[in-house]
Amino acid sequence: MSEQQRKRSPWIKRILISGLVLLLAGAVIIYFIFTEKFADTSKSKADFTVHAMDLLHEFQQSDSLANAKYAEKIIIVSGRVTETEAADTTINIRMTDTTTSAYIIFAFQQQHLAEAKQLKVGDSVSIKGSCSGGIYSDILETETVSFKRCAINK
Amino acid sequence: MKKSILFLALATVASVSFAQKKKITSSATISFDATTKLDALPKGDNKTVIGSIDTKKGSVAFEAIVKSFSFANPKMQEHFNSAGWMDSDKFPKASFKGTITNLADVKFTTDGTYSATVTGNLTIHGVTKPVTTTASIVVSGKTITTTTDFTVALADYGVNGPAIGAGKVSTDPKITVTAEFK
Repeated sequence: MSEQQRKRSPWIKRILISGLVLLLAGAVIIYFIFTEKFADTSKSKADFTVHAMDLLHEFQQSDSLANAKYAEKIIIVSGRVTETEAADTTINIRMTDTTTSAYIIFAFQQQHLAEAKQLKVGDSVSIKGSCSGGIYSDILETETVSFKRCAINK
Repeated sequence: MKKSILFLALATVASVSFAQKKKITSSATISFDATTKLDALPKGDNKTVIGSIDTKKGSVAFEAIVKSFSFANPKMQEHFNSAGWMDSDKFPKASFKGTITNLADVKFTTDGTYSATVTGNLTIHGVTKPVTTTASIVVSGKTITTTTDFTVALADYGVNGPAIGAGKVSTDPKITVTAEFK
């Protein structure tokens, strides 16, 4: 090995080790990103706390503004259960404005499905969930606001 | 005279009620499965889909808020809604409007399991395309349960995310729709 090659080799080693470390760090980050699961909503911090009818009125006034404000945010909604509806193997909870038929519907997170099944029409409840936003339904001819991954707010 | 008007009004209300054969749910379920051998993550479901069925006319309709699709993995849900994919900020709703073409074969007043052919228009990502599928219809008393599954070619609806080319997302995801009408 020439004198020049001997001087260069420590640098090649350092570059190779640095590259390997970066590669490993990248692999670990990608692993965590793609194996991550949504947190338990009951333990998530809420962005807003609102009454069901107030939330519905905001969506009815302008669903584009309300969607920009609330979509994909964790919200605590308080109100009265007006309907329970079978959904696959569980039930969804609805809070309906009886004057306009506009409603909010809550689909519960897997670990909180049993809580949803305990609820009955007329119960006053506080539900925490991820707001999916609202649309005007052409089928129902009214505004509908949907939540996913919900839990009873205790 | 007053009695005649009252009778006429009641008869009209009764006939409208009798003709009303539309059943509606706001808790139909749509499952989306775009998994491949390379990636088992791209699958989610939406349990707050609005559905309607008119047993007299044979018309069926579904509406789904795209952001209501829930995925186990947060990054997958973010990709699904992003501008390169479903672009749910711009196209917040997916919908289907169709008709049962063999309505005479489905006895909505008799308990049993029936096979229905449904033809209609599916709108995803702001693009509307015709779809024909076979649905199973189970009648049990006053409850009607419908189930269907079909595949959707994402490219037909202008959904061309890079992960499709890389084989991480199926080019033809399987869509399963289940609805219970009471």
